[in-house]
Amino acid sequence: MALNPARIGHRYPAYRYEVSREKVREYGLATGASDAQIPHESGAAVALPTFAACFTIARGFSWAADPELGAHPALVHGEQSYVFHRPVRVGDVLICTPWIEDIRSLGRNEFLTAVVDCADETTGNPVVTSKATIIFFTPADADADADADVEEVG
Amino acid sequence: MVAVGDRLPERAVTLDQGWLIRYAGASGDFNPLHWDPAFAAGVSPTGGVIAHGMLNAGLVGNAVAEWIGGPERVRALTTAFRAPCPVGATVTVGGEVLSVDPDAGTATLAVWAELADGSKVVDRKRSRAVVTLG
Repeated sequence: MALNPARIGHRYPAYRYEVSREKVREYGLATGASDAQIPHESGAAVALPTFAACFTIARGFSWAADPELGAHPALVHGEQSYVFHRPVRVGDVLICTPWIEDIRSLGRNEFLTAVVDCADETTGNPVVTSKATIIFFTPADADADADADVEEVG
Repeated sequence: MVAVGDRLPERAVTLDQGWLIRYAGASGDFNPLHWDPAFAAGVSPTGGVIAHGMLNAGLVGNAVAEWIGGPERVRALTTAFRAPCPVGATVTVGGEVLSVDPDAGTATLAVWAELADGSKVVDRKRSRAVVTLG
């Protein structure tokens, strides 16, 4: 059930994400943001910090469908970090590239560090770096679950 | 003036199923673990529906942004998900300034989201925010 360490450094296909005003508003409302932090109907607007989840979590977890990695369903999302090289703004178009930074074992668990580099489509400059730590447990019935779909549990 | 030991105003939020459904729609994370009790019974660490980790991270990130005066001042946010957050649980979100770097013009905070029993949904030992000072 071990993850394949040969996938360290592997880069998945990049995808494009447009930061839309209505999505930023929707995300702000869904996370209980105050009115002051939710974009108005017009004008410049900065996305809330974890709005980056909209383009780096479900969509950015390309590793989950990588048959060569060997991901399995007994996992939790252990940690998530965002580093903002500049704020994410309404109107940004981002080119997002997921890749595997590290795979390591600790006891019966394995730790996958999965990064998504998000850069400004126009300038190519980095905007936000997402780093997810996914913890894989070794289930007792590991073989029986080997073909099941991967699900996030965190 | 931000100083070591300053604290964010604590905020308690009860994350009922409506919160989880709104978050699923807003984030695009439709994992049934967060809305289907029958599915969750088989895979959840609690045996039931649990909140998205990133919903709790969002509560934390929003609280930091509100406190420092805008999301553009949040330079980095790390959230360590230690304990699951069952649907319907009340989380208390907070933060405390650990250090101030006057040269860089930044401050580093410990941040957290905890249940009433002390469970560390977002663990203050490892969860950090870096903000730009005004």
